[in-house]
Amino acid sequence: MAVRLEIGWRPDLVDAEGLALCRQAKEYFDFDIASARVLRVLTLDLDLHPSELESIRQEVFTHPVTQISGFTPLARDFDWAVWVGLRPGVRDTAGAVALEAIAAYLGRSLPPKAAVFTSKLFLLQGAPLNRVQVERLARELLANDLIQEFRLFSREEWDPTTGLGLIIPRVELHHQPSVAVFELDSVDTLRKLSEDRHLALRDQDLPIIWHYFHRPEVKDRRAQVGLGPPTDVELEYLAQARSDHCNHNTFRGRFIYRDLATGEEMVLDNPFKQCIEAPTRWLANRKEWVVSVLWDNAGVGHFDEEHCYVIKGETHNSPSNLEAYGGSLTGIVGVYRDPLGTGRGARLIGGLYGFCTGPRHYAGPLNPRLHPRRLLDGVIAGVKDGGNKSGVPTVNGFLYFDESYLGKSLVFVGALGIMPYELQGQPGSAKSARPGDLLLMCGGRVGKDGIHGVTASSEVSSPGTPAGHVQIGDPYTQKKMHDFLLEARDAGWLNFITDCGGGGLSSAVGEAARLAGGAEVWLDKVPLKYKGLDPWEIWVSESQERMIVAIAPENQGLFLELARKHEVEAKSIGRFTDTGVLLLRFHGRPCAHIDLSLLEQDFPPWEFEAEWLAPAMRLSEPVLGEVADQRALLLAMLDRPNVCSRAWITRQYDYEVQGTSVIKPLIGRATPIPADAAVLRPLLHSNRGLAVSLALNPAFSRIDTYHMVAVTIDETVRRLLSVGGDLDHIGGVDNFCWPSVEYHPQKNPDGKYKAAQLVRAVWALRDMCLAYGVPLLSGKDSMYVDGLLPGAFGEIHRVSGLPTLFFTAVSVIQDVHRAVTPDLKNPGDLIYLLGDTRPELGGSEFYELLGYTGLSVPVVRPQEFLPYYRCLTQAIQGGLVASARGLYRGGLGVHLALVSLAGGLGVGVDLSDLLPQAPAYAALYSESAGRFLVSIAPQHQREFEALFQGQPLTCLGEVRPDQFFRVSRGGRTLIETSLSALQAAWQRRFGQLI
Amino acid sequence: MRSLNPQTQNPFPKPRTQNPEPSKPKALVLYGYGLNCDHETAFALKQAGAQALRVHTSDLLHNPALLWDYHLLAIPGGFSWGDDHGAGVILALRLKIALGEALHDFVQDGRLVIGICNGFQVLVNLGLLPALPGRRGKRLAALITNDCGNFRDAWVHLKTLPSPCIFTQGLARLELPIRHGEGKFFTTPDILAELQENQQIVLQYATPEGQPAAGRFPDNPNGSLLDIAGLCDPTGRVLGLMPHPEAYIFATHHPHWTLDKERYRRQGRPYPQREGAGLTFFKNAVNYLASRFAL
Repeated sequence: MAVRLEIGWRPDLVDAEGLALCRQAKEYFDFDIASARVLRVLTLDLDLHPSELESIRQEVFTHPVTQISGFTPLARDFDWAVWVGLRPGVRDTAGAVALEAIAAYLGRSLPPKAAVFTSKLFLLQGAPLNRVQVERLARELLANDLIQEFRLFSREEWDPTTGLGLIIPRVELHHQPSVAVFELDSVDTLRKLSEDRHLALRDQDLPIIWHYFHRPEVKDRRAQVGLGPPTDVELEYLAQARSDHCNHNTFRGRFIYRDLATGEEMVLDNPFKQCIEAPTRWLANRKEWVVSVLWDNAGVGHFDEEHCYVIKGETHNSPSNLEAYGGSLTGIVGVYRDPLGTGRGARLIGGLYGFCTGPRHYAGPLNPRLHPRRLLDGVIAGVKDGGNKSGVPTVNGFLYFDESYLGKSLVFVGALGIMPYELQGQPGSAKSARPGDLLLMCGGRVGKDGIHGVTASSEVSSPGTPAGHVQIGDPYTQKKMHDFLLEARDAGWLNFITDCGGGGLSSAVGEAARLAGGAEVWLDKVPLKYKGLDPWEIWVSESQERMIVAIAPENQGLFLELARKHEVEAKSIGRFTDTGVLLLRFHGRPCAHIDLSLLEQDFPPWEFEAEWLAPAMRLSEPVLGEVADQRALLLAMLDRPNVCSRAWITRQYDYEVQGTSVIKPLIGRATPIPADAAVLRPLLHSNRGLAVSLALNPAFSRIDTYHMVAVTIDETVRRLLSVGGDLDHIGGVDNFCWPSVEYHPQKNPDGKYKAAQLVRAVWALRDMCLAYGVPLLSGKDSMYVDGLLPGAFGEIHRVSGLPTLFFTAVSVIQDVHRAVTPDLKNPGDLIYLLGDTRPELGGSEFYELLGYTGLSVPVVRPQEFLPYYRCLTQAIQGGLVASARGLYRGGLGVHLALVSLAGGLGVGVDLSDLLPQAPAYAALYSESAGRFLVSIAPQHQREFEALFQGQPLTCLGEVRPDQFFRVSRGGRTLIETSLSALQAAWQRRFGQLI
Repeated sequence: MRSLNPQTQNPFPKPRTQNPEPSKPKALVLYGYGLNCDHETAFALKQAGAQALRVHTSDLLHNPALLWDYHLLAIPGGFSWGDDHGAGVILALRLKIALGEALHDFVQDGRLVIGICNGFQVLVNLGLLPALPGRRGKRLAALITNDCGNFRDAWVHLKTLPSPCIFTQGLARLELPIRHGEGKFFTTPDILAELQENQQIVLQYATPEGQPAAGRFPDNPNGSLLDIAGLCDPTGRVLGLMPHPEAYIFATHHPHWTLDKERYRRQGRPYPQREGAGLTFFKNAVNYLASRFAL
């Protein structure tokens, strides 16, 4: 008989979770709740003797000093009780751990049917709320109805003897698994089928798929294995493989680009090939440090003679918009499987994040599924739990607000790993499954979760999107698998490894089979969470924490033994062949037989019309006179949501685990400010460092996406150089997030313009990568950053996100002791501006503050910038530089204030030489690229200035011994303020958040 | 069902195996099941002069006699078994079941145990801390959710108190990072009084000037009673602490090391590759063990 164990904090202890609940209820809904307490509920679905239950309660699940517990209801005084538990089939890790602990404590194994389910009971006191309000609280704050369910109890409804009752979310599928076969008499039948099953197949792909199954030789070979018309397994597989998410159809498409002003027309065939692959190949041939690019789960570069680093960036937008916490958690845990599945496996050494959401205090008429504040709180917490519990330091990240992301918020996650340069005499970055190798699945089990995730993220987010594609990552299970697989790698057993991500087994095995030359999979052998899954569901499910490996049959025994030691489930589910065919069986009978060549060739590119309207035809410069109160302006700039301190996010992430941190994400003894880049010492016995920087500048997309991309890449380069990175060793990762570029006269009338924006962006990517010598080690595109949102009157708006490039750059530092930070160090130090300031205010934070876009977007001039970039590196290596900071969003005014705050030292600078003809605001807030703020000790002045002979170097002034920030121009004081006023402005907005 | 009463159970023999590298104390660093500071903890111990081995928790649970091959047991930080049932609870349970009295005997034999962060939570749940006289093996204290309500990564100022603790000898004030969501030390007033009386409070959170944090955030980052950051047993050979000494081994671990470097440069001196204060914990342990076991 099942029993329910309730556990709570002793009444005299603070309930931190309850406090947070009261606070959020007030913040999100303006509900006043005097106090709340949270009970953890364990529903034990197992037969135990009462004395055993009592021992388990006391010895395992109740802390004698801090907790109370009981098998009868603990809830007494409350106005409302809200129970929240996982929906059936959602992975309950805590429940599984509890079951293991009970078995260990009893010293015997429990029957296979035994289970423990965890849930929570929230008790609200002093809560003058009606049922509708409590239901809102439950639905929108306490439970996420995609993965959890809830029940409400008013005090009157509560029976103090039975309490909650017993809620057992066991999955009982009374479904006999089967394979469906579809007679496709015409392409139209296939189209209809695609719609009915949500396959999201595109019209132009339909005839190719139809023809394939009607080719005589295909029919013959299928007949030989007992297959006729296509099966559901095959069609689902093809839909997954052809989805834009997996296949990058947009980036491999054909763009007819027309400049509407000049009438000029050109064709860009396959932007991926021309603007990503080609420059990267060209650079890889010239840069010895490039080890492996463009084919594996992540890119690989040389770290030292014996090691390579591995880097990858991903976005996890659609799932995070449906379920913020679970989506981002799954995203970060998922991206960690990419380095682990690169080569024969890399150890994780760093995590990265980036969030783009609507304004945190948005109060406008649009009504997204989750308000930006809730969405942001959720995605922050997801990366926290996913990253911290993975034991990987979260070393760098960013947050950007814009109303355009109300349609769909962006969640970027990135990962760094390290692997041996050579393993068992072969490059560590090489892998190949050999015919005859066994195919094993490791990690989690397969359930219905995640089915149709890939095809759903290839569609516009709308109220009708199927919610079933949300999955919840489990960092604990994955951490065990990570430790296990690296030991298996070092033992020499892994011939091939890859992760199961989007598309599940279908994508992972499909990829492995292509490298091996064929594979056979026994779907009935795949470990399941519960019975009753159809073979096609097993094949495409995106259940998390899974990797597949290829090992020689003779190593299977040892491999499984090691798996048992790590308590990782591993099972042989197939073998690799050389037949050129992917053959799937279910209980021996073939259910899919697909030529591997089908997915490589036969599909025509998607075609897009792209129409560019030059910025000067759309925009103009505002007519704007000089600013009278420069002090107030600077304070307002520091308070801008995209400029101000967000230390509250950074500190929730463990950025120091593994003991590798050299430059942490927050720098400065007085007021910590974001570092330009993170620096790690990935190998503790070595002084060699790895630097990683991130940037995005979507505001410039309003003017020209070419310059948006150029400025962003230049920024990541400068961020690396500021900390002491090596200009000759910079690798890039491009993550594009774009609104749909498919024109539709009603649904997407500016689709052609968005397509032109994409074309211009990839041109800039190509140009900048070549100019700066940055090969693209890895990257990904996420299209369909659009949402359909109800407005004030229930009317539906299409809201498209700003075209956005997240760029990540990585470099190697010979000796971490040479690294430099941005904080001013010493009174009397000289402050220099390196690089020219131009009147480039278009798209700037300053214009945005005043409600303008403008036209004069910053232009990147690599040939002009590179000579002094090299000088700066020389100065840093020569030990001349006390502090260095790139100038980014907000320009000189903002970043001068930040380095001053970080050092806790005032400055006295004069800006007379900067744009003397222009208003002072241009000198302070222009966002011209290619600039740095550098401070040096006065004794280095001559040597430093000599080094920059002929380069745009301007001495602005010096570091002051006091706490005053003084800026003058043309003999007049522009700004005079205390550092405490600057600090207050910079920290005010989010300073109360923890 | 197994009895967890430590007084009545000690089924394991104590084979005292030979030490293959006799000049160095041997340290066992647990890993697996979600622990995650094992590499750097082993590295810190090696830097301090120990022979440190990472041992999978399963190996120790299945072969408890393994413990006696080592002079020091380190339970590092992490999220053992996911930490969903109270931080450190399940690992403590597993160790208790598998090792019974052996851990106590290990300490009685003059060997050392250090639990850092999640490891501290484990020691408290094992009853190896505070192990007040007559009540060893009992769960007398807990590390609960931070008062600030969230996981927090920040460097804190610490001061040591007079205590028999081996690990902190010679340390007065120092800085270390904390990285936890459940680090608030909590117990009853009478136990607190006993801890003070027995000089078992080893480390307290302090202000930058070295004054007691007096419970104030962020100097006291989690709301710990009496600003307690670390605790030893009455013998001084078991230490549990929330801050991470293994994360301050190099000078470059410190958040303001570049300022320090710049100060040396101004004086025309090369920047010394100084050790971080965290290394002292491990050096003290190695020195003690070397002399205790005449290595």
